[in-house]
Amino acid sequence: MRVYLAHIVLNLKLTLRDRLVLFFNYVFPLVFFFIFAQAFGASRGGAFVQTVSMVLIIGVLGNGFFGAGIRAIQERELNILRRYRVAPITAAPLLVASMVTGWANYLPMAVVVLALSRCLYGMPLPSNWLSLAVFLSIGIIAFRSIGLMIASVVNSAQEGQIIIQLFYFPMLFLSGATLPLEFLPKWVQAVAQFLPASHLFLGIQGILIRGENLLDVWRAAAALIVTTIAATFLSVKLFRWEKEERISGAAKLWLAAALLPFLALGAWELRTQHNLAKVKSLTRETRRSQVFLVRDARLFNERGDAGTGSVLLRKGKIERIWQGAAPSARELKAESIDASGKTLLPALIDGGIHLDQSGAFPDSPSPRGEGATRRHLAAYVYCGVAAVRPAAPDLRAAARVASGEWLGAELLDGSPAAYSSAERIPDEIFARLAAEGTPFAPALAAAEAADAVRERNAELLEPSLVQQVAPPLLIEALKKRLAAAPLSPPHPRRLDIASDNLRRAWKAGVRLVAASQSGLPLLLHGPTLHRELHLWVKAGIPPRAALEAATSGNARWLGAGSRLGQLAPGYEATLLLVNGNPLNEIDSTQHIAAVFIKGERVIRAELFEEE
Amino acid sequence: MSVIRVAGLTKRYGGFEAVRGIDFAVDEGEVFGLLGPNGAGKTTTVEILEGLRERTSGDVEVLGFDPAVQARQLKERIGVCLQATNLPEKITVAEALDFFASFYRRAGDIRRLLDRLQLWDRRNAYYSKLSGGQKQRLAIALAMVNDPQILFLDEPTAGLDPQVRLEIHNLVLELKQARRTILLTTHYIEEAERLCDRVAIIDNGKIIALGAPGEIQARAAGHSRITISCATPLPEMEWPNAGGAQIQIDAARTTLTAVSNEPTRTLVELVKRLDQAGVEVADIHLKRPTLEDVFIELTGKRLRD
Repeated sequence: MRVYLAHIVLNLKLTLRDRLVLFFNYVFPLVFFFIFAQAFGASRGGAFVQTVSMVLIIGVLGNGFFGAGIRAIQERELNILRRYRVAPITAAPLLVASMVTGWANYLPMAVVVLALSRCLYGMPLPSNWLSLAVFLSIGIIAFRSIGLMIASVVNSAQEGQIIIQLFYFPMLFLSGATLPLEFLPKWVQAVAQFLPASHLFLGIQGILIRGENLLDVWRAAAALIVTTIAATFLSVKLFRWEKEERISGAAKLWLAAALLPFLALGAWELRTQHNLAKVKSLTRETRRSQVFLVRDARLFNERGDAGTGSVLLRKGKIERIWQGAAPSARELKAESIDASGKTLLPALIDGGIHLDQSGAFPDSPSPRGEGATRRHLAAYVYCGVAAVRPAAPDLRAAARVASGEWLGAELLDGSPAAYSSAERIPDEIFARLAAEGTPFAPALAAAEAADAVRERNAELLEPSLVQQVAPPLLIEALKKRLAAAPLSPPHPRRLDIASDNLRRAWKAGVRLVAASQSGLPLLLHGPTLHRELHLWVKAGIPPRAALEAATSGNARWLGAGSRLGQLAPGYEATLLLVNGNPLNEIDSTQHIAAVFIKGERVIRAELFEEE
Repeated sequence: MSVIRVAGLTKRYGGFEAVRGIDFAVDEGEVFGLLGPNGAGKTTTVEILEGLRERTSGDVEVLGFDPAVQARQLKERIGVCLQATNLPEKITVAEALDFFASFYRRAGDIRRLLDRLQLWDRRNAYYSKLSGGQKQRLAIALAMVNDPQILFLDEPTAGLDPQVRLEIHNLVLELKQARRTILLTTHYIEEAERLCDRVAIIDNGKIIALGAPGEIQARAAGHSRITISCATPLPEMEWPNAGGAQIQIDAARTTLTAVSNEPTRTLVELVKRLDQAGVEVADIHLKRPTLEDVFIELTGKRLRD
C-alpha cells in the first residue's frame, strides 16, 4: 500500500511540475471548448451539451493515450523504468499510479468545463452529476489502461506513436466527439460502434441531455470496466522495464484481447441498432434544447388574433410571450427569428388518417412498411401537422416518434368521431350530437376526392404543398390511373352534400373535428389537412373556427389539450409559422415559413433525405 | 564468510554463450571486482546475481538466497547501481531517496546518506540540474537506501570524466573502510587495482585470473621492464644475467630493454656494467607489471583501446 501511495504522490508532483502535461490537460481542451462554443452557436444556449461532451471526450482521449501511453513508453526509453527493476516491486503500483494520477488530473478539468458552461453559456448543470462523475472516472481510467497497454506491447517510441495515433484519431473523429455521428456514412457509424470512445461519448450525452444515470449506461460502463481489468492485467504480465527487452509483434494481438468487450458490445449494437437509434434521439433532444425568439409575429390563439408579439421557446416549451416589445435575443441567449408579416399558430393536428395507406388506388402498387410509415409521418411535419390520429394504432411507429428516433407527427389516440355520410344528415341528429358533445368530422376533403375520382380529375394533385411532399412516382401513378379507366370512388360521399352537412352542424353548435382521411385514394399525407381547412372556409365556416378545430379542438379531443394546440406559456413549442394571415386568407396555412416540433426548428428540406 | 557463491555458472542467449562456467566467492566486507573488456560477460554475471536474469546452469547463492527463485527477498537486502539509468527530470534528490526508500521494508537514515554522499546541499535540486558526478553519487545513494548487505556497482565510473571518477573512487574507498561488501564490475585497470581487495579477470565468459591485484601481478609471468636510454652507442659486450633478466638492444644501439623478475637487482647490475663500459646513460625507466600486462599476457589482447 505504501508503495502505491508513494507512486501516486510522486506522479502527481511530477505532473504538476510538467508544463506540457498541464498544457495538454487543461489549456488544450479549454481552447477547444471556446472554439466549439463559438462554432456550434453556444450563444443560443442549445446544442451546448454537444460542445461539453466533445471537450470531455477530447480530454479523456488525450489523457489516456498521450498522458498514459506515450509517457509510459518514454519512461522505458529513457531508462527510468530500468532503475525500478532492481527494487523489490512489481509493475502494478506503476500502472495503478498512472491511472490514479490521470484521473486526478482529469476531473478538475471536467469541473472547470462544466462551471464555464454554466457561468458563460447558461447551460444547466447536470442533474445526475454523481453518475456523470462516476462514469467519467470509469472512462478516464479505462482509457489510461488502454494507453498503458499500448505502451506494454510496443518496442520503440516510434512504434508507440504510430499505434497511439491509430487509436487516437479514429476515436477522435468517428466517435461522435468531433463530428456528429449522424452526418457520417452508415458504414462509418457501424465502425464507430466498436470504438470505446463512441460508447463513452454516448453515455456522457445521455447523462447530460436526458438526465440518465449509471444504470441507463450500464453496458458502456461495464465494457469500460472489463477493458480496464483486462488491460491492466495484461499490462502487468507484459510489462518490460528495459527498452532492450523486445516483445514479439504478435503481442499486439493482446490489445485486441483487451478490447474484446467492445467487440462484443459493437456486434450487439449492430444487431439491435440500439445505439444508432439513441444517437438520433439524442441529436433530436439536442436540437430541441435550442433557444429561439420568434419576433414580431401575429399570434393566433383560441380567441383568434392575439395581436403582434414575440415568443421565447426554450427547452422545448413556450417559455414566455411578450405583447409588443421584447428583450433582445442576445439578452435572452436565444437565436432570433424575424417573423414580421407572418403568423405564428400552434402546429395543426389531424383528427383522422389511414397511416397504413399512402393515397394510392387499391389496385395500384403503393409503398408499404416501416419506411413508408416513417415518410408519411415526416410529410405531416413538413406540412406543419404535429400530431395525427391513425385509424389503426401503430405502436412501433408511435414509439419511434416518441423517442425522437424519427422526426414525424406524433400518434394520438382518441374516441371515434361521427363522420359525415353520403346523405344529408337531418338537423335533429346534429342537435343530438351537439347535446351529447359528440364530435363530428365533416371530411370534406374526402368527399372532394370522391368527386374527383368520379370526374377523373387530377387537379387535386396540383397544389404546391402536394408536389413538395408526395413522391413523384406516386403522383405519376395516380395521374395515370385516373386517366386510364373509369374508377369507382372509394365511398359515395359528395362535396356539396358534405359541405351542407358541415354548415348545419356548425349552426347547431356541434363540436367539429378536422380530419383529412389521408391515405385514402388521392388524399396524400400532410397537405390534405390544409385542403380540409380550405374547404371548411369555403363552406362558410369562419377561419378562426376552422383553425381552432385543427389545433386546440383536436388537441383536447385527443387528450393532449394540456400540452398541444395552444400558443401559451407552458405549452409545447410545437408551432407553425406561416406567411400572411390565415384568419383573412385560410390558404396562408400552406405558405409555411417554419415548423417547430417540441422546440426543434425543423429543417424541412432534410425531412425526406434519410433513406 | 562468503556472501556470494558462484559455481559453474553459464548463460546462453540463443546460440551465444555469454558466460561459460564461472566460479568465485565473495566474502563479507570485501570489495570484489570483475574486470574485463566490454562484452566479456561481467554485466550478465552480475545481473544473474541480482536476480534480474535467469541463468542457464550452475549454482548461485547470494546471502543464502537463490536469485532465480527468491529474487524478491534478495532485492530487499541488496543495493544495485546499474549502468545508464535515469530518473524523471523534475524529481528532487530528496524525493528520489524517499521514493525509493518506500519500496523497501527497511530503510536507512536518508539524512545521513545524503550527508555521506555530499548531496545534502543539493537535496532540493531537480535531477536534471545535477552534474554528472552528482547524478552518479545519487545513483549510488539510491542503491544504498535500504542499507544493503551487498552493494553491486556496475561500471560505476564508465563515461565519467577523470575528476568525477576520482570522486567516485574516494567514495568507494570510504565504503570499503566501513567494511561494506561491494561487488563492482569495471573495465578500468586502475579502478580494479585501486579499489578491489580481490579481482576476477573475465574474458569471453571465463575467469582467467582471480586473486588480490598484487598477487595476480606477481603470479603472472609478466615481469618488470627496465628501459635505459644512452647518449652514446652501446658496445658489443656480454650482459649480466642478474635476476634472470632478458635483455634486448634496439637497432640504433641506444636503448636497452630488460625484463626481469627482480628488477632492483638487475637494474643495479646493469648500471654498474654500463658505467664500466664507459657508456653515458641519458635516462632510466622502471615499469612494474600492471593487470593490463597480465591481461595482455593471458589473452594476447589489450583490455581496451
